[in-house]
Amino acid sequence: MFENIDLSDRGVFLTATSLYGLAAALGLYGILRPKPYPRIGVLPLVGLAFLIQTLALNLRGTVVGGCPLGNPYEVSQFIAWSAALLYFIVGPACRLRLLGFFTAAFAAALGLTATLLPSWDYPYPTGRFGGEPWIELHAALAIFSYGVLAILALVSAMFLLQQHGLKHKRHQGIYALLPSIQQLDTIASRLLITGTICLSAALIFGTLFWLENPDRVPGFKLSMTGIVWLGYLLVLLLRIRQQLVTRRHAYATILLFILALLSLWPVQSARQPGSLKATPDLQQHP
Amino acid sequence: MSHAHPQSLFVLGCSHHETPLEVRERFTLSPERIPALLQEFRHCDELTESLVLATCNRFEIYAHARNENALDAIREILCQNLGVETELLNAYAYRLQNLNAIQHAFSLAAGLDSQILGETEILGQMKQALAIAQEFENTGPVINRLFEKSFQSAKIVRTQTGIDKGQISIGNIAADLAKRIFGKLHKNRVLLIGSGEVGQRTAQALKNRGVHDLTVSNRTTENAQALAQTLEAQELPFQNLSQSLHQFDTIISSTAAPGHILSREDFQTAQRIRPARPFFLIDLAMPRDLDPALDSLENCYLYNLDDLAAIANENLARRNDECQPARTLLNTQAWQLWLQLRRRALMPAD
Repeated sequence: MFENIDLSDRGVFLTATSLYGLAAALGLYGILRPKPYPRIGVLPLVGLAFLIQTLALNLRGTVVGGCPLGNPYEVSQFIAWSAALLYFIVGPACRLRLLGFFTAAFAAALGLTATLLPSWDYPYPTGRFGGEPWIELHAALAIFSYGVLAILALVSAMFLLQQHGLKHKRHQGIYALLPSIQQLDTIASRLLITGTICLSAALIFGTLFWLENPDRVPGFKLSMTGIVWLGYLLVLLLRIRQQLVTRRHAYATILLFILALLSLWPVQSARQPGSLKATPDLQQHP
Repeated sequence: MSHAHPQSLFVLGCSHHETPLEVRERFTLSPERIPALLQEFRHCDELTESLVLATCNRFEIYAHARNENALDAIREILCQNLGVETELLNAYAYRLQNLNAIQHAFSLAAGLDSQILGETEILGQMKQALAIAQEFENTGPVINRLFEKSFQSAKIVRTQTGIDKGQISIGNIAADLAKRIFGKLHKNRVLLIGSGEVGQRTAQALKNRGVHDLTVSNRTTENAQALAQTLEAQELPFQNLSQSLHQFDTIISSTAAPGHILSREDFQTAQRIRPARPFFLIDLAMPRDLDPALDSLENCYLYNLDDLAAIANENLARRNDECQPARTLLNTQAWQLWLQLRRRALMPAD
């Protein structure tokens, strides 16, 4: 009776995405109904989705023989996974209500986009990162920093919503449930520092690989990554000097994250099999 | 004259619903008189259990009666203690029996019978009344169970409906808004300008929510000193107001000044010193003390009396909408307790 169930990694990814979507829908229902927001419900669903997504990443990693970060589909799944992981750290530590709902919505949207665009899941040479510890470390750190920056963008979006509510004298529904703007601003500041440090470390390790193998890193990828990093560094410096605070800071971090996500496409395009000098086995994924 | 059934639970009381303030004043039971009253009830042969609930809006006697003369005995003891005529008590007092009494206690605990719908203070008052009655050994299986179940039902109602959602007093609304801006208020620095009553109540509400650092400023030094003493606050000379704004997070203004006492420019200067910290400005004065143009400043949240009143009205309307679902839930809970008490032969069939 179970023979028709899709047990390929894409099927497992889709299950995780559906669970994130369900968690987001449950959170939205909790916000819209007049009763108190349910404390449980979203958290276990995001937890289950996270575990299933971990399994899917493991399945894909086994097939490609390394960290599954070879095409936009995998990168999207990894960022969603990383954001969920960060939610489990930041959410309870900072007691940020509704972060679960926002994380679930983000992970569901990212997962769904990746699923609906089959062209993102193109084949690439397996074992690309095998035997290259610097690039493995670079990739893992870069994706982790994207997770931090994703949560930063979500916290900034929550900040803008709360600020809009306070400025326009709205106090019901989601506005009553959001954390205080001061708390959101403080957490955004900490996440910006963490994200920028992680991204910088990823770039340092990437540079070590690039110095050893200058031909294997496309220039376009290098410049796009550099622009994103410089953007975050600039925002951080302006923030420290108190020249970019509150609303403008929130807009800057959201726009930078969108830019970071959009930059993945050209970065990944530059890494497609044809653009690689060394082409080990190409692995076609289901 | 109506009589209680043998072995019945009843409530005799007066509340703000039917009794005018001047009559309620005569029925006031001070906390010192309650123990004596409870002792008299305990020695009354007609009663097996009793409890006295006295708040600023009501007094109620909960009793489990042994025979049909219990109600008359309670009236007599009560009137003697209050020094009022039985006719006056009969004219205003309500009497609820058995299932109706249970439903009433449940509604009361949930705040449905309160002057401010959904308020939670009554729950604490009921708990205190139960503790005192238990201390004097006036309660037994019926009243203990009635109150414990009413506390549980109140919690269920507050979890499952929005009956206590949203504040409806100006002070608490301002405190809620401050929490939406600053989160925890223990590090919040509050400045109260003027000595308006609503302003003082708002400052007090903020203090109740954890504010430690309160400063007052008034054009008249004597008034400022008196206010500082009342609110246990520091003083700020009125002429130093505009230069000291950057030291505060929440500013409540309720003066009788004919025009604006603080301008947009004053706050722009203060913001340059602390660009990342927001200002919460509460203008309770009429005419307004704070320039309305302040609202357009980034990181400045200005609320006037109309804004706060609009929130209060909206919250009250929402609470009223939740009243019926809450009552349905409570009636189900009351019915279950009624059945339990009947099964234990502690209640008669009505």
